[in-house]
Amino acid sequence: MQAVILAAGEGKRVRPLTRSRPKAMIPVANRPIIEYVIDALVKNGIRDIIVVVGYRKEQVTRFLNQLEIPIDVVVQNKQLGTAHALQCAESKIHGDFLLLPGDNYIDPHSIARIKDIPNAMLVKEHPNPSNFGVVLLNEGFVSHIVEKPEHAPSFMVSTGIYSLTHNVFQYIKGNDLTDAISAMIEDGRQVLGIPADDWQDAIFAWDLLKMNRRLLSTLTPAREGMASRQTIIQGAVRIGKGTTIGPNTVITGPVVIGNDCTIGPNCCIQPNTSIGSRVALEPFSFIGNSLIMDDSSVGSHSRVTDTVVGERCNLADHTSITMGTGLMEIEDTAILSEFGAIIGDSVQSGPFTRYRNSLVGNNTIIEGCRSLTTRCIPDDSMVI
Amino acid sequence: MCGIVGYVGRKEAAPIIVEGLKKLEYRGYDSFGVATLGNGIELVKHRGRISDNAGSAMKLTGKTGIGHTRWATHGAPNDINAHPHLDCSGTIAVVHNGIIENYAALKRQLVSRGHTFRSETDTEVIAHLVEEHYTRTKSLLVAVQDILPLLEGSYALLVISKKEDCIIAARNASPLVIGIGDGELFAASDMTPILEHTERAIFLEEGDVAFITRGKLEIFNQGQPVTRPVELIDWSLEDVKKGGFAHYMLKEIYEQPQAFYNTVRAVNPDTVSSLIDCHPASITIVACGSSYHAGMIFKYLLEGSCGIPARLEFASEFRYFPPPVEGRVIGITQSGETADTLTAIRQAKTHNCKTLAITNVLGSTISRVADMTIFMRAGPEMSVAATKSFTAQLAVMMQIVNLICDKKDDESLLKAHQAIEEVLLMDISDAVALCINAQSVFFVGRGPFYPVALEGALKMKEISYIHAEGYAAGELKHGPFALLSTETPVIAICMPGETYGVMISNIKEMKARGAPVIAIGCENDSEVSEIVDHFIGIPPVSVFVQVLTSLVVLQLLAYHTAVALNRDVDKPRNLAKSVTVE
Repeated sequence: MQAVILAAGEGKRVRPLTRSRPKAMIPVANRPIIEYVIDALVKNGIRDIIVVVGYRKEQVTRFLNQLEIPIDVVVQNKQLGTAHALQCAESKIHGDFLLLPGDNYIDPHSIARIKDIPNAMLVKEHPNPSNFGVVLLNEGFVSHIVEKPEHAPSFMVSTGIYSLTHNVFQYIKGNDLTDAISAMIEDGRQVLGIPADDWQDAIFAWDLLKMNRRLLSTLTPAREGMASRQTIIQGAVRIGKGTTIGPNTVITGPVVIGNDCTIGPNCCIQPNTSIGSRVALEPFSFIGNSLIMDDSSVGSHSRVTDTVVGERCNLADHTSITMGTGLMEIEDTAILSEFGAIIGDSVQSGPFTRYRNSLVGNNTIIEGCRSLTTRCIPDDSMVI
Repeated sequence: MCGIVGYVGRKEAAPIIVEGLKKLEYRGYDSFGVATLGNGIELVKHRGRISDNAGSAMKLTGKTGIGHTRWATHGAPNDINAHPHLDCSGTIAVVHNGIIENYAALKRQLVSRGHTFRSETDTEVIAHLVEEHYTRTKSLLVAVQDILPLLEGSYALLVISKKEDCIIAARNASPLVIGIGDGELFAASDMTPILEHTERAIFLEEGDVAFITRGKLEIFNQGQPVTRPVELIDWSLEDVKKGGFAHYMLKEIYEQPQAFYNTVRAVNPDTVSSLIDCHPASITIVACGSSYHAGMIFKYLLEGSCGIPARLEFASEFRYFPPPVEGRVIGITQSGETADTLTAIRQAKTHNCKTLAITNVLGSTISRVADMTIFMRAGPEMSVAATKSFTAQLAVMMQIVNLICDKKDDESLLKAHQAIEEVLLMDISDAVALCINAQSVFFVGRGPFYPVALEGALKMKEISYIHAEGYAAGELKHGPFALLSTETPVIAICMPGETYGVMISNIKEMKARGAPVIAIGCENDSEVSEIVDHFIGIPPVSVFVQVLTSLVVLQLLAYHTAVALNRDVDKPRNLAKSVTVE
């Protein structure tokens, strides 16, 4: 069986984290989201995998290259829509196939449930259905799909994961896949709606923290780096090669730390934290429920909670990031949000900076002693 | 990374295995070997590329066989360390891709039980372990299944015995595919060697052991028979190896951050301190092509930062100068086989010079000729135009300078890969548009950016066939100015630092002659961006890293120009990857 993974779209609502990678490549629990999708397919014995790439295609391709199983890469030059992306792969698809978004987590069991049924989709109840395609079911079969409605008629949403026959290509008229599926249903082809067990989508950047929490919950502990004897490690903690952890550091799992990091001494790492590779956490810092990507550093005496930090950031000493609630304007819509900070790539922030519920764009420079509450700072800014 | 191939069928095995190994060369090419079941076990193994001397291997007889192409990890690449490895009695042959982590302990036990080892590889322990169990069990399948729990690490294995007409394949954390043909079966590291024979394949799972005999395949996991689905594969060969990139060159350009980071961390400080022990009077660098440009950057950095005089010669011209007496000579060659550089190093040795080789290929000829060798960790490079091997050469040389200068640039070297990542995100299509219609392009720079300009020009002419020249910016007005016109774009590298002010006046002079100027400078530099036609801004970093980032911009410029002109980027006309003639 074949599987097509769509990883061409940028994921604009997750900006600023998508400057150097599409959403599918954002690392959650230290692995890009798309890797979990590929894993779930391989666990189901599906190895003929086609990935449609577009936005930042070189970065995606380079990553796919490192994987052990060979992946067929197809390029979608303009990101026109999901149906168009699927059409890009049409010449490589012979029969029944699975279609999956590369930027959503899905568990292998759900795939097992759908893979042998021609024309089926995985559905899942979601508390905020209006961000998705809302699905109406009739005796197990899909009767209607409404894309991002203002008033959702049900809480059942499409996960974007389909098991399809080659016929679907006849129904693709526009660029949107939902239209093609609706046309199929109108034409009398039945599409089964099958509930998914565990499916996670991060619509906004702060949703990554929830996904991170979920993916860390199944972490297998491993210790490859050097931890001082005075370090206290509790719960599931994974420490990568070349990482050194200074004395009197307390790590409470689930926590994953990548390779070649320098942590502590005297740091405290709380549960649900993912730390990438080559990250420096200076002494007397506290970090919890956060996601720190590669090559970033957090200065001494800092507190970082409920935060996503991009690559190559430098947060100076006495940074304080705490959870706050506020309205964020994302793609011209005001969204109620609750998080500490979302910090893009290559952000330099000075000592004694305070963040609460703030979004900081890429390459931003923040002078010391600033206080940011419910702010949204665009890319390449200077906060003085 | 290594590649393995196995065949059981009705045809002669050797030619099929040799062809298969050639296709796996992108996984490694420092030595190869083939073993077939003909008159007992027939074995051929050699140092070097299989494409260069496959002749003897083609003569092996038998319809069952295994083969291996190697990228050395344990033990230098030579005829002895090449796979397949035999047991003491020559009954069993093994090829292996991966690393056996506990091989030292296993080897000690085996030696104490009376086994004789021929090679320095980790793989040979497998042959001897199978031997022990085989004499007891009389079944190759059972013997292999018995020994697998003893191995720690990663492996994809193929084992044959002269007493049975079969191949036993096993995998753990290294890839292995079984191809199912018409009355014939294949095993290989990936689909590339199999594709021309069959499209049907089985991907083995972790811990699987496959029993491959004539027309029959059985797979076991933990001793129990299992069935694995047969998949239909229809990729083209080139696609698999390029892993989704349009060209090897682009793939390798994007591998540069990793190549640089790995190489910087792999340079052994002891080698460097023994090179410069009692503060040498001078260092001579010999190299050809791109390596020569890397040597020139080294010369600037070494003289500028460490105050050690350096002399740079084309390897082919080295012999026409009086040789340095008891000096230090560094030879730089990606392949380690460049004839000119080898001759130069040999000649330096006859004059009592201490010699150091910088190369990408473990155990290549130069590493045996020179007194010391530093290996770069770029991995196999397939494109003729050097990209990641050049950055890795710079990584070695910048690390040498850094170590001589008491590690004052440690931080910027360890963070350089981040700056390269930044540059890889840049859009340079406007600059490409300026270049594609040009008959000639000039590259200019000063100080360490002069060799960068030379390298940029070399890349441009190499793959886009546009006439390109690199000049020291100050030299342009001593003659080449006559060539400037509105049709000759000039690419100027203008970084903040000691070269900045005078570069700006050079750029103004060129603009005054009407030439369109593309400048590579520090982002936010409004002074330069205002006077030039097109400005490419790169992140502000140290000089070392500026050299790297501006170089990557020029590589991308050459690549995209060549693609826009429809050139054969990976195999430019008239060129070969490694020049082994003088």
